[in-house]
Amino acid sequence: MARESFDKEIQFLRMLTLTSGAYNRQQFADRLGISVHTFDKTIRRLKEIVQSVQQQLPAEQGHDFNEMLRLNYYESADPLLLFLFRAKSLKETESVRLALLLTALQSQPLTTMELLDACCEGLPAYSALPDEKTIRSDLKYLVEVGVVRKEPGGRPYRYAVRNDLVTELTDEELLDLYDFVDVMANTQLPSVQGYLLRDHLKKAMRRQAGAQEIAEPFLYKYHYYSRILDEAHVHPLLHAIRQRRCVTFLYFSAAKQSIYGSQNTNPLFEKETEGREHTILPLQVIYDHQYGRWYVLGHAGGKGIMKFRMEGMTQLAEGEPVSEKRFADLLAVLEERTRYSWLVDTGRAVKVRVRFFNPEGAKRNFIRERVLLQGQWGTITEEESESFIYEITVNGITEIKPWLRSFGSSCEVLEPKRLRQEFKQEWKELQAYYEPIRENI
Amino acid sequence: MSLFEKIFNYQIVSRLDESGAFATTSQERIWLQSMLSDPAATEAFIPSTLDKLRLMLADDDPLEIDGSLREKAGIPASPVYHPLLRILRSILRSRSGICMSYRMRNGRVHERMSGFPYKLEFSMVKKEWSLLWYNRRHRTLMSTKLSSIVTITEEEIPPEETEKFTQRILGILESRKEQGIIVIIPMYNVELSRILYAFSCFEKEVEYVQAADSYRITLTFQTDESEYVLSKIRFLGKRVKVVQGSRLISRMKETTARALARYEED
Repeated sequence: MARESFDKEIQFLRMLTLTSGAYNRQQFADRLGISVHTFDKTIRRLKEIVQSVQQQLPAEQGHDFNEMLRLNYYESADPLLLFLFRAKSLKETESVRLALLLTALQSQPLTTMELLDACCEGLPAYSALPDEKTIRSDLKYLVEVGVVRKEPGGRPYRYAVRNDLVTELTDEELLDLYDFVDVMANTQLPSVQGYLLRDHLKKAMRRQAGAQEIAEPFLYKYHYYSRILDEAHVHPLLHAIRQRRCVTFLYFSAAKQSIYGSQNTNPLFEKETEGREHTILPLQVIYDHQYGRWYVLGHAGGKGIMKFRMEGMTQLAEGEPVSEKRFADLLAVLEERTRYSWLVDTGRAVKVRVRFFNPEGAKRNFIRERVLLQGQWGTITEEESESFIYEITVNGITEIKPWLRSFGSSCEVLEPKRLRQEFKQEWKELQAYYEPIRENI
Repeated sequence: MSLFEKIFNYQIVSRLDESGAFATTSQERIWLQSMLSDPAATEAFIPSTLDKLRLMLADDDPLEIDGSLREKAGIPASPVYHPLLRILRSILRSRSGICMSYRMRNGRVHERMSGFPYKLEFSMVKKEWSLLWYNRRHRTLMSTKLSSIVTITEEEIPPEETEKFTQRILGILESRKEQGIIVIIPMYNVELSRILYAFSCFEKEVEYVQAADSYRITLTFQTDESEYVLSKIRFLGKRVKVVQGSRLISRMKETTARALARYEED
């Protein structure tokens, strides 16, 4: 499948999970910048994938597709969005062949010719049989992605499947591994490879357990699952950073109505996309725990350091390399400019001083605990019985503001004066939101 | 490294599943290899398993950690494993009961409480594990931090009891559910995605009201989570307004009044 199709599916799934069915077909298609016909086609395709990946789900069969994507905290331990990465289209014959090869290899290493035989035997009578060349190229691919390895020794080479994680571990060890993978994939970055592995291990365990249902013991509270979708861009960007290469992409800023632009090959249907093309030298990838979003920071010639949200990026492609020296220089500039960034802000450094009020009558000072836990490099400078002062120097005040505001009346901004005024004004306006509306008499 | 390798294709995956075949890509092994260097690995495995795994993965190079991926506004690296996890998850999987002593916030210890464990819950915000369990004596659903558990032993429970407790827990969870409706002030519709990202960790339903060009988000959460929900609402400030859910509304009123009082002297 074309790369384009993934971009569409990522945007599609993101919108579907975030807005969870808020739009009708037409509205959805409009927002996405596709036709209703494409909308229907994409939904059909995604449904088909979900069904074949989630066959084992017993109770949820009847669920609507939207329903399936909706977060149901106590019921769904599987990250459903993972199936995006399973969506790659493949010719039917190829998927049958690759599966047959891997199945044949489960018990022992085999040579190309033995595999050719096994493959021909396994294929249904009506299908065209593969030739040696095809099998060779399949094996080459499998070695490349590390699923299969060439055994040491002379010709004819034998190939072995990398299934030792299952065959070499005892049931108890496999269970430990599964739990470890589950915990790490859910709490560490990056996670997609972990989720893929978790999926595989789960199937292996299910086979071992037979009919017995495997209870999922773990839950992760306040987990931003949507981050999985953006990981599609994280790896190509990290690769470009390692190679010191520029990237180009079409960017859809959040302010724009549409979030995707189809690439029309027929000039008759060509239309202006709302996205803008950018070329940057990526320098750093940043994950923001506050919102659960990914950013890339890079240098754009003539514009200096630029920041992009990964959710707005499509059609990412690697470009020209730059010299090691240039990369290092630009990275040093970025490091300097983001040294005090709460997230990614490169604004002027400002000292923020606030007073936090200890909770009244509570056994535990959860305000202080939270400030110590989340307050990044800020420090507590003065402590009194009812309150304490917290100080931090940050690049720009916009990014720290939501965090301070989330403390409500337990936080009073002292400095800078401008921020204090802003807080006063905002609380006033918020108060107006909750005032009873007076009827005109 | 492409996450869209054809080997991950759903048709291959379901065929392999049918035939009972298993295979891992180097991507998955590399990921695992890097995770094994986390201190959590020593808690998660007995030493012999860890050695075995490391040996198996010796051919794969770990992910290059060169500082180009950074995490911001999170909590500094903290342990994500707890020694009790291994013990507890096997009790959970065998659906047994527990007998547990645990410390309360005031320092007192509850001795030998008998119960039925439900789930192990990790809070992404506080980075700590809790055990959700049913207290048989008090007939309530409890959440106890693993760090507060003093001793814990497995206790046998007849299968019919297990079923009864599970149903009771689900009933309690259902009865503790609370809802609130939050609208996005249309002026901030351009920030829709940011706002929805902030709420994406909750069970929710979004409705788009075309006539008003506004979004209504119905959040469903457990009663004891309402303080966290409120902190998210305050986090978003003027962008959102709670229009339904009497508790959320009255708490927002209280907060705004008290916060304003802090700035009175100006």
